[in-house]
Amino acid sequence: MTVPDQQRELLDVSADRWHERIADLLAGGMRFLTLWSDPAERVACALGSGYGTTVVRSTPAPGELQSIVDVAGAAAWDEREIHDRTGVQFAGHVPLRPLVAHPAATADWVTPVSGDDVHQVAVGPIHAGVVESGHFRFHVVGERILHLDLRLFYKHRGLEAAAAGATPDLAARLAQRACAACAVTNSVAVAQAYESAHAGVPDAAVRRARTLLLELERLYNHLNDIGAICSGIGLATGSMAFAELKERAQRVNAELTGHRFLFDTIAVGSSDLDIDASTAAHLRARVAAIGAEAALLWADVGANRSVRARIRGAGILVRDEALRLGACGPAGRASGVNDDARADGGLLWYPGFVGATLNDPSGDVAARIEIRAREITACCAIIEDVLSDPVRPGRVTLSGPAAGPGIAQLESPRGRTVAVVEPDRAVIAGLHLRTGSYANWPALAAACTGAILPDFPLINKSFELCYACVDR
Amino acid sequence: MTAAELATGAVMLVGLVAAPLLPGMIQRQKAYLQGRVGASIWQPYRDLRRLWHKRVVQPSGTTVIYLVAPAASAAALLAAILIVPAAANAPQFGVGHDALVVVGVLALARGLLALSAWDTTSSFGLMSAGRDLAFAVAGELLLALVLLTAVLPVGSTDLGAMWLGASGSGIWSHPAHWCGLVGMVLILLVETGRQPIDNPDTHLELTMVHEGPLLEYAGRDLAYLQWSAAARHWVVMLLAAGLFLPHPSGTVAGLAAVLGWVVALTVLLALIETMTAKMRLLRVPHLIGATGLLALGGVASWILGAAL
Repeated sequence: MTVPDQQRELLDVSADRWHERIADLLAGGMRFLTLWSDPAERVACALGSGYGTTVVRSTPAPGELQSIVDVAGAAAWDEREIHDRTGVQFAGHVPLRPLVAHPAATADWVTPVSGDDVHQVAVGPIHAGVVESGHFRFHVVGERILHLDLRLFYKHRGLEAAAAGATPDLAARLAQRACAACAVTNSVAVAQAYESAHAGVPDAAVRRARTLLLELERLYNHLNDIGAICSGIGLATGSMAFAELKERAQRVNAELTGHRFLFDTIAVGSSDLDIDASTAAHLRARVAAIGAEAALLWADVGANRSVRARIRGAGILVRDEALRLGACGPAGRASGVNDDARADGGLLWYPGFVGATLNDPSGDVAARIEIRAREITACCAIIEDVLSDPVRPGRVTLSGPAAGPGIAQLESPRGRTVAVVEPDRAVIAGLHLRTGSYANWPALAAACTGAILPDFPLINKSFELCYACVDR
Repeated sequence: MTAAELATGAVMLVGLVAAPLLPGMIQRQKAYLQGRVGASIWQPYRDLRRLWHKRVVQPSGTTVIYLVAPAASAAALLAAILIVPAAANAPQFGVGHDALVVVGVLALARGLLALSAWDTTSSFGLMSAGRDLAFAVAGELLLALVLLTAVLPVGSTDLGAMWLGASGSGIWSHPAHWCGLVGMVLILLVETGRQPIDNPDTHLELTMVHEGPLLEYAGRDLAYLQWSAAARHWVVMLLAAGLFLPHPSGTVAGLAAVLGWVVALTVLLALIETMTAKMRLLRVPHLIGATGLLALGGVASWILGAAL
């Protein structure tokens, strides 16, 4: 397998050409990846085509840039966040509601919704279960949801700020702590972004080890998410059975790496994972058994009439809306957006990768579970493929630092995670992490429109997005 | 008072104490079916004891309605337990044994809780109470219709007479009885707030039906409400067993059969709750309505049969 062409392009443009340049690139078929404010107080936009990236940078003049939400709807949250953090105005993004800042008055951040009998139902930020901080404000008539306003960003952990000036290894560990459930994805993303900034070429061992860990992370996440949906519809037998499989998957994690959530398994520039042939064969058999049992279990649970009646048609995210909002990961694929960072090649080990797809991407809860169930099978096949040979430690060959930021794109269990690392000799000057959860939160709100209020927990679980991912 | 009357009265009084055992048994069986050990069947009693000794809290702005509702709701259920006879010859506890009164008393308890939700103005409480009342519009009609299928054969709304009328095997030859039985199973699910109508184990406020108005309550008030929920299981199961399930007409054998059916119904509820997911909220009225039509068909078949 050859290393793909890591085409990197850096375009510094003036503020008045900012919008035009990005619009051209998007029209040329590139996808919006992320938007961030760099250490030099420029605003930068990363766009991707396959694994190649183009970064457009501009200094806001004076304190203002033209908004790109008209051409990249997915950038809406990014622009709001940058505005809250740096004060940069985005002309044309009206109203530019606060996202990270939490004004006290409801009217300052909530979408005005009016009409007969329209009222608001507020949920959170403190929830009845073990749930992170997030406030949901539903505008409803009776049970029908007209609109959902999200307020996340409750915790300011300063992970990205702490990463500025840190060594790449520390930065990767900080990113790992952004979200336990995507720990591997986040740390690999930062490692690859740093390596990319140094034209790094990972050897086969590193690529295989990282792929193995990424897929193990996806396996336990997907098992957990299907189980969570079962408990969301009150099917305790299903949630218990999936909980058992998830436990077994996490025990494989623990045996392989010493950590149930695969923490601290990723290093920048190298890989220490060492699995001999007999351990690999043993774990391979266990993963194969988990995959086979999960498939049987889902065939059973998914065929239950009451389950199907409950999940079909709930929380529909139509394809156009999904595309506009930049929905990705299982949520995007369930709506027919065939976006999978693994298919772009990249610096991992996915020979002949074909992503799981649905015959009928109906964009409802049923589709979002079904795609996960199929991905579990695919995921186990990849893990088995890697574990058919021993996994040895490996290295990434780094060259001198290149100009501009390093960018990595990875498929997390929740969607496309993008990491941006601004290199500064041996340390990094800035880190920006845009996880699959961050990308999909606006899509969740869109999927809830028109649904009924008691279906919200179910729809929410079918996306299973992470709150902590935005609290970085 | 005869020995038979004493036995029947004793079983009914035991219901006051034994009611929390029913949800305990259901939870234990559900846990078993899920491959878990689960909590002891005595867990509801432990919960009640713990809550009983805890302080009552009153949200600011609430009135006497909020304070009175839990105890009044428990009192309504206490009356219901004394009204529903365990066998034909139940002693009088001063509240009679009229079927329509049971419908009224159960509705009273529900109404009190809805009022308390209104009193707190908590959005979750109101939302759940609103759903509960919406279901009740159809559910209470269904209960009345189902009871009517048991009333018609005996021509009396006296539950003792109805119990006797449903005993033996003759009644099973009539379709009205079968329609009533199907309706009764659904009533069991609606009144006890079990799946697929409601999920008693949920902590998700947005999905709640019966649990919502309870959210603000704590301590002794919550103990009253939890006992009321358990008492509802007892009352409805005893009605189902005595009026719609086969049992001999003799007091001792009848009591044994009825108690056996109550245990069997906990198994049924555990099985239903294990095998089905919770139904989408807006589909519940359809289910109740369809079953109501069936019960209405039962009533019609009886009237037609009597006319021919």
